[in-house]
Amino acid sequence: MNAAIAPAAVVVRRNIAASAEDLFDAWLDPEALAIWMRPGAGIRNTEAKVEPRVGGRFEINMHAESGVIPHSGEYKVIDRPRRLVFTWFSPHTGDRDSLVTVDFLPRGKLTEVVVTHEQLPEAKREAHNGGWTKALEKLDAFRGASA
Amino acid sequence: MGEYQSRQLDGVFNALCDPTRRAILARLTDTEARVTEIAADFPISLNSISKHIRMLERAGLVTRSVQGREHVLSLNAGPLADAAEWIERYRRFWEGRLADLEKYVTQRKRKRQ
Repeated sequence: MNAAIAPAAVVVRRNIAASAEDLFDAWLDPEALAIWMRPGAGIRNTEAKVEPRVGGRFEINMHAESGVIPHSGEYKVIDRPRRLVFTWFSPHTGDRDSLVTVDFLPRGKLTEVVVTHEQLPEAKREAHNGGWTKALEKLDAFRGASA
Repeated sequence: MGEYQSRQLDGVFNALCDPTRRAILARLTDTEARVTEIAADFPISLNSISKHIRMLERAGLVTRSVQGREHVLSLNAGPLADAAEWIERYRRFWEGRLADLEKYVTQRKRKRQ
């Protein structure tokens, strides 16, 4: 009971034998994301598109037998190699924004990667939506220019 | 997860982010209680307690029944299970991703050496 009451967010940590820079870069490199952002169960392949700047967007499409599971979001903080913050939107967040913070903490020869994933309270999310719409418009302009 | 369920989760998370509301829920895990009994447990006004209780009711975590002149509150743990399920889903997801991130970065490092 109390365990369920305590945190309204999920925190996952892992110590990895690599530099904070190498780990940080793997989050913003579409080719890297296509390899490691692929949950095993039934996902055949993943495609990633990344606009690595604050206010920029990413799309990660996971191809399952049943169809594509789209994930997307907007970068809020890009502080290499310490911290990355982005919104996360997927069918599993009820098609609403949630917020992911990734911290890269030096631990001697290792780096501790800490992922904090939280739902956004109503008011906060409405504030995000303004930026979201603008970012979509910008992304469309960006695509139009590169097409 | 549907729209309704997601909105309900928002309410649950908002309700849980306050220590007084968590204490009220903890109080109700043992047994139901009258509003006046709960108010007596906290060093804040009845008015503030009522606001906290209304928020818990809106989140579907607390049910109120009127027995004579008393309002009796009981815990409804269902929505907490939904919150726990969300947390569990993403805990598994990110644990898996970080394991694959480790594989990716360390294999790449070996190739470079």
